[in-house]
Amino acid sequence: MKLKQSITAWMFMTPFLLVAFMFLVAPLGYALHLSTQTDTLVGGVEFVGFENYITTLTDPIFLEGVKRVFLFGVIQIPIMLALSTIGALMIDVFNTRLAKTFRLIAFMPYAVPGVVAALMWGFLYSKSFGPFVGIFESAGFEDFNFFTPAVFIYSMSNIITWAWTGYNMIIIYSALQGLPREMYEAAIVDGANQIQIALRVKLPAVKNAILLTAIFAIIGTMQIFTEPRILSRFTNAVSLGYTPNIYSFNLAFNQSQFNYSAAVSFTLAIVIFVITALVLSFTRRKARSAS
Amino acid sequence: MTIGKKRLAKIFAIALVPIMAGTGFATAPAQAAPVKIKVWAWYPNMKEVVEIFNATHSDVQVEWTNVGAGGDHYTKMKTCIKAKKGCPDVAMVEFQTLPTFAILDPFVDMAKYGASNADGRYAAWAWAQSTAGKRVNAIPVDGGPMAMLYRKDLFTKNNIKVPTTWAEYKSAAEAIKKVNPNQFIATYGNDPGWITGLMLQGGCKPYKYNATVSKTNVGIKLNQASCKKVLNYWGDLATNKLVDDKSFWATDTGKGYDTGQYWTWVAAGWTPGYLAGQLKDTIGSWAVAPTPQWTAGADVPGNWGGSSFTVMNQTKNAALATKVAMELYPPQKKITKGSAWDIGLNSAFLYPLVTSVENNPEFKNYTYKIFGTDEKVNPIYVNASNKLGTFEWTPFQDFVYSTMGDETTLALTGKASWASILDTVQAKVVAYAKKQGFKVTQ
Repeated sequence: MKLKQSITAWMFMTPFLLVAFMFLVAPLGYALHLSTQTDTLVGGVEFVGFENYITTLTDPIFLEGVKRVFLFGVIQIPIMLALSTIGALMIDVFNTRLAKTFRLIAFMPYAVPGVVAALMWGFLYSKSFGPFVGIFESAGFEDFNFFTPAVFIYSMSNIITWAWTGYNMIIIYSALQGLPREMYEAAIVDGANQIQIALRVKLPAVKNAILLTAIFAIIGTMQIFTEPRILSRFTNAVSLGYTPNIYSFNLAFNQSQFNYSAAVSFTLAIVIFVITALVLSFTRRKARSAS
Repeated sequence: MTIGKKRLAKIFAIALVPIMAGTGFATAPAQAAPVKIKVWAWYPNMKEVVEIFNATHSDVQVEWTNVGAGGDHYTKMKTCIKAKKGCPDVAMVEFQTLPTFAILDPFVDMAKYGASNADGRYAAWAWAQSTAGKRVNAIPVDGGPMAMLYRKDLFTKNNIKVPTTWAEYKSAAEAIKKVNPNQFIATYGNDPGWITGLMLQGGCKPYKYNATVSKTNVGIKLNQASCKKVLNYWGDLATNKLVDDKSFWATDTGKGYDTGQYWTWVAAGWTPGYLAGQLKDTIGSWAVAPTPQWTAGADVPGNWGGSSFTVMNQTKNAALATKVAMELYPPQKKITKGSAWDIGLNSAFLYPLVTSVENNPEFKNYTYKIFGTDEKVNPIYVNASNKLGTFEWTPFQDFVYSTMGDETTLALTGKASWASILDTVQAKVVAYAKKQGFKVTQ
């Protein structure tokens, strides 16, 4: 009986396992295999073990890319999540038709494919086609340019905030919707106003949803690729290793260093894993010490 | 008109084959269905050229795809070479990139299929770069001899002398700043191919690589005086804000050529084709002068880009692929209306490396819309192309260019000195080459 049950279970799982093996396990295994070899233009393939990983960790271009996306995240993620949270709290309170329309509009950028969004913003930022340069210049910024290396990181951060704020807002909003209404009634009976309810009741209750969006955002930030890749046509700020993923792409497809590129990708995955684990353990410890 | 008729005839022929086969007429060896040859290229107006080829060939038909210009195209080529499948039969490759691909061994030796430079069919410098000893890797199509595009109207109106030397170019840059502080003689577009062309004109031939002698020996000397001279010159203009720092390919820059923001562009034989697409108001106001010289009265040309057709060894029909590579832009005694080179010259603004077209009196007398109708610009480019001589590339030119681009960005933003760019690039490239297993001579 038990055996029969487990056979049935495996049969149900087979399609998933097949797909997961073909498109997840096998490519990962192949990349891991690649990353332990070196294939030079002259000389050919050779097994080198962890050498590519050691090179990655001491490669100034890779480290600079990691540093860049890390600083980018430190600035951009809090701003975006603050906007998402405020938005979610607002549409949770004002349950009118206007709020529903706002919800839809705020979510819309997420539905625009990243490549299209990057191109669109490329033109919006352009001096001859977009409105923003004119706005900045009339505000007193002389000869303003969104594409100089110093400004470009903020231009990019704006695009990513634009694209993801609505998405994160919806996640937090759904968490808010799941809260029992009795909690608010109790708070009102205790004499709390709407702002107090939002800050003291709702926010702590959706803490986990916000944490989830934060983790998604961290992973997404470390993997930034589309925006700098597309906008490199508009700016020369995007260097060979502007972000770790851009670096890994250029290594593989511009310089034919597939093996080293695989090592860079795996190292990036490990870095993301470590950062995510750190964030999780930090917030858990904080939660434990608070209770 | 003739094309239309021929195509109609072909449709009839194709329609007749099954009918004849069905009625038993096909006793003679029936003409086999034409072989399909896949071509990847990004020449402007390529569609019409392919139509001409297909209408005039019954044994072979071209299936053309534009997979992206430059970098995107090469990315796809590298992917299909690595994957050992998915490559086209024929692929466009620029001259500076040929050795970079050749070392991955993806090309058919076209000499085996009749490709040769008999009767000097192709420009000598281009043929030298397309071959390795007796091996033929590529068929030259278009070149990038450099000359100075300039706004004739603005120079005349403001009574500024059109520069013939780089010293005069700087004086003109200063004069333009006095006319309008928001206008520049040019922008430093930070395109490594472009500055390499100008360095060549300054006498800088930094790479030595000959795969027939040795695949593993490469000479790199980017930090020599003749190379540094050119970069320092532009660094001086950039530091003094006499040139702008915008990329050549940004949409705003294209517009800048039309609004008087940029007065000149020392660029390649194919550049007028790109520029024509950017201009609206200043069509007819441009002219061409030879590249400014380092020594007054000299006549040293530069070269930027230019490209060829290669046959990739994943092809199943190397002979027909070679035929396609040689005949898409074929030698032509006359440039008749509606012929491949008529499209290539008049619509796509290619500079022909097929000598019968290059030396054609018709070509030399051509006038173009973006230049005044009395401007005969082609003799300037022909003279530049003929004087190019020999120069070589590294087998990892993509790495050299991306390093050069990144280091120059640092200089443009004040994070590195212009004088140090080539030293840094030299050091990085040598380190990379050694790591890749090359024996490097500095």
